[in-house]
Amino acid sequence: MEMNTDSTALETASRRSGQRAHHVNTHAPIPGIEAFSMEFSGTGGEFFRVWIVNVLLSIVTFGLYTPFARRRTAQYFYSHTLVAESPLEFTAQQRKMVFGFLLLIVLYGAFQLAAETGQDLTVAVFFLAGAALAPWLWGSAMRFRLGSTRWRGVRLQFRASWAEVYRASWPVFAIALAWGVVAAVFGAVAGKGVRNVPVWAWLLPPAALVGTFLCIIRLEFNYKSLLVSRAFIGSHSGRWKPVYRDFVKIWMATLGVFLASMLALGIVMALVVGGSIATLPGNKNPGLMVILIFAALGVALVFLLFLASAPARAYREARMLQLVWNNVGVSSIARFRCKLKARRYVLLRLKNMLLTLLTLGLYRPFAMVSEYRMKTHSITLHVKGGVNQLVGQLVQQQGALGDAMADAVGLDLVG
Amino acid sequence: MPWPMRSAWTSLADRLTIAGRWFDGRSSQPIPVLASLHAAPRGPGLRLHPLAGGAAPLELEHRQVQWPETWSAGRAPRTLIVDLGPHGSLEIDDTAQWQAALAATGRRLPLAQRMQTRWPVLLGVLVVAAAALGAFYRWGTPWAAAQLARHVPLAWETELSTRALADLDQGMLKPSKLPPERQAQLRAGFNALAGQVPAGLRRYGGYAPALSLQFRSGLGANAFALPGGTIVMTDGLVEAAARQGTGDNALLGVLAHEIGHVVHRHTTRMVVEQGVLNVGLGLALGDVSTVVSMGSTVLTGLAYRRGHESEADCFAVALMARAQLPTTPMADLLLGLEDARAAKQGGGPKDQEPAKGTAGGATASTAGNAIASLLSSHPQTAERAQKLKQGRVEGCKNDA
Repeated sequence: MEMNTDSTALETASRRSGQRAHHVNTHAPIPGIEAFSMEFSGTGGEFFRVWIVNVLLSIVTFGLYTPFARRRTAQYFYSHTLVAESPLEFTAQQRKMVFGFLLLIVLYGAFQLAAETGQDLTVAVFFLAGAALAPWLWGSAMRFRLGSTRWRGVRLQFRASWAEVYRASWPVFAIALAWGVVAAVFGAVAGKGVRNVPVWAWLLPPAALVGTFLCIIRLEFNYKSLLVSRAFIGSHSGRWKPVYRDFVKIWMATLGVFLASMLALGIVMALVVGGSIATLPGNKNPGLMVILIFAALGVALVFLLFLASAPARAYREARMLQLVWNNVGVSSIARFRCKLKARRYVLLRLKNMLLTLLTLGLYRPFAMVSEYRMKTHSITLHVKGGVNQLVGQLVQQQGALGDAMADAVGLDLVG
Repeated sequence: MPWPMRSAWTSLADRLTIAGRWFDGRSSQPIPVLASLHAAPRGPGLRLHPLAGGAAPLELEHRQVQWPETWSAGRAPRTLIVDLGPHGSLEIDDTAQWQAALAATGRRLPLAQRMQTRWPVLLGVLVVAAAALGAFYRWGTPWAAAQLARHVPLAWETELSTRALADLDQGMLKPSKLPPERQAQLRAGFNALAGQVPAGLRRYGGYAPALSLQFRSGLGANAFALPGGTIVMTDGLVEAAARQGTGDNALLGVLAHEIGHVVHRHTTRMVVEQGVLNVGLGLALGDVSTVVSMGSTVLTGLAYRRGHESEADCFAVALMARAQLPTTPMADLLLGLEDARAAKQGGGPKDQEPAKGTAGGATASTAGNAIASLLSSHPQTAERAQKLKQGRVEGCKNDA
């Protein structure tokens, strides 16, 4: 049931709810197991109204409406998402979201001020603190999001300890270490001139690059597995089966899709550019024309890179959704199945991107709804023992700074 | 609403009971309930009567319930979920009846919900939003930036300038090749001009930066002001003036324009304005698309810069008048530079940062159309030169 991003609250939420929501009565031949398709009953047109209201109120309030808009968006998607016939609930307190947002604005303002006025030390402190606190921020965002999700009156919880979160974050520190070593080695030999750099030193940057790539995948794997296995609904915890190798495979396939779309785009570009150069009239001032063409190409290149990466990004999202939802469950009472077709999802994303571009962004709410719906409808929940068996626990509501921060870096709440 | 009417409605609401499932937050097992709404001074309250087990009814005040939003006028969600906070949640299947009962309590919807269910409200807010946005970015931000600049210490500006100039000296700028006596000659004229800035032209009372002129080569024919009083003129500009025979008065006019930037603290104000734009427009329009939000940020930023340029022109005209120097040579120099560039580039758009102060806008003088002027950081050169020649720039405040 997630929409846009990796394992975000909704995904986990539904995962968890699924876990609890197990009734026994299914179409499946196994007795005692009940199957429920997840459903999304919202519509693009309806969400467009919600969205345009958010945009307008954000404009009138100079952006201060953002936390309210976020809550309304989350509530629209949650309350129209039916897990075993019961809608999800987004119960975050508005007050906390506003506070987290204001805190974020103050921090950002202080950082900008320090950067603009050239206070390098302060900027460095901000960077280092940000890096050191990144795992904490991720953890608190997940606590907030899961703790704000309720299904049949029972709240989800993210119970990972801070030690677990920091242990799962080791790839971040490994990346920093790798590049630190590269910088130190080259710093040490820099004085001796390029020719004196030993051959093995030249192998370091590519090795660090590959290592960084693998570390990023490892980080995604660690975070997702921690999120699922330390997520609780009542006394039941999430179950996580994928292994690191599954993630690497998906990323490799994604790289393949990216290269293939780059190649296809490159061929199209070559044909178009070749054609337009051939049809150029004999210009007296060819120098200018060439400059103009190159300028246009530069702009087009950035745009095309974004375009070419779109199929790959959608493909990765779809494959990740399949992998995760086919391999997670809620203790022994629930498991999920995902029938999402990666090809269909990629095509939907391309269509949505095109329409969003053509409408200068006005199609975005329709795009969000259609992608969310395709994902949600692809997931089936299988429950053993009925959806009434969950026993809730009191969960303290979390502060929302981590969530506001996660939102600022693009981890969509509804995703 | 007259109160007998309210009483009638209240009783109607009381009669409307809605079947629901109550989850008390301790278990996912639903408790069948009958829910009813009743009007109260602070908004409707909610009462739940459990249908089994002989449990006591639950009575909740308006503020204890997170009332679900009305998303659309026509369609209700299949199942409605009501957040009762620590008391769990209530699921309602008969959403139409819930809406009817809520309406019967005379509850007024919050603005956001009226906007998404009623077109006239949405259009009304749209008009207000457009007007407010326009007014804020047209007048509000520049005004706030001008006020905020008062509180920025001069030391910050000079430190920034020292660093910026050091950076430029390592890259794009080289030491001037002008003979020292020529430099001294121009500097004498500059100092004379700087010494004549009257109190009436000083935008910020008590702001008295030490004005100094520096010569460099590189960056073509150019002159620019750094915040805090340092003004840089390139050899290219001095040579261009000599080539065009516009004389030193043209150069002094350009310097007067740059002094205007310093006195009006344009760089500092631009930092503030750009910050407001980045955050404000980014937040407001970022959700629509990056193209829209960045496009409007860039266009508004350019509009502010054009405003600053006009202000500096006003200042130059007033200062030159006071020094009893003509502004026509400066205008001729501007036009000459523009022609030279147009000839060189074939009238195409200039792709580098437009030379500040002297070299006109980012577009050729021939393209006098509105789009070109929107994309320019300077007012149209021909128009500008015309006004400088007349010694009168429109839109200047009459405090000169």
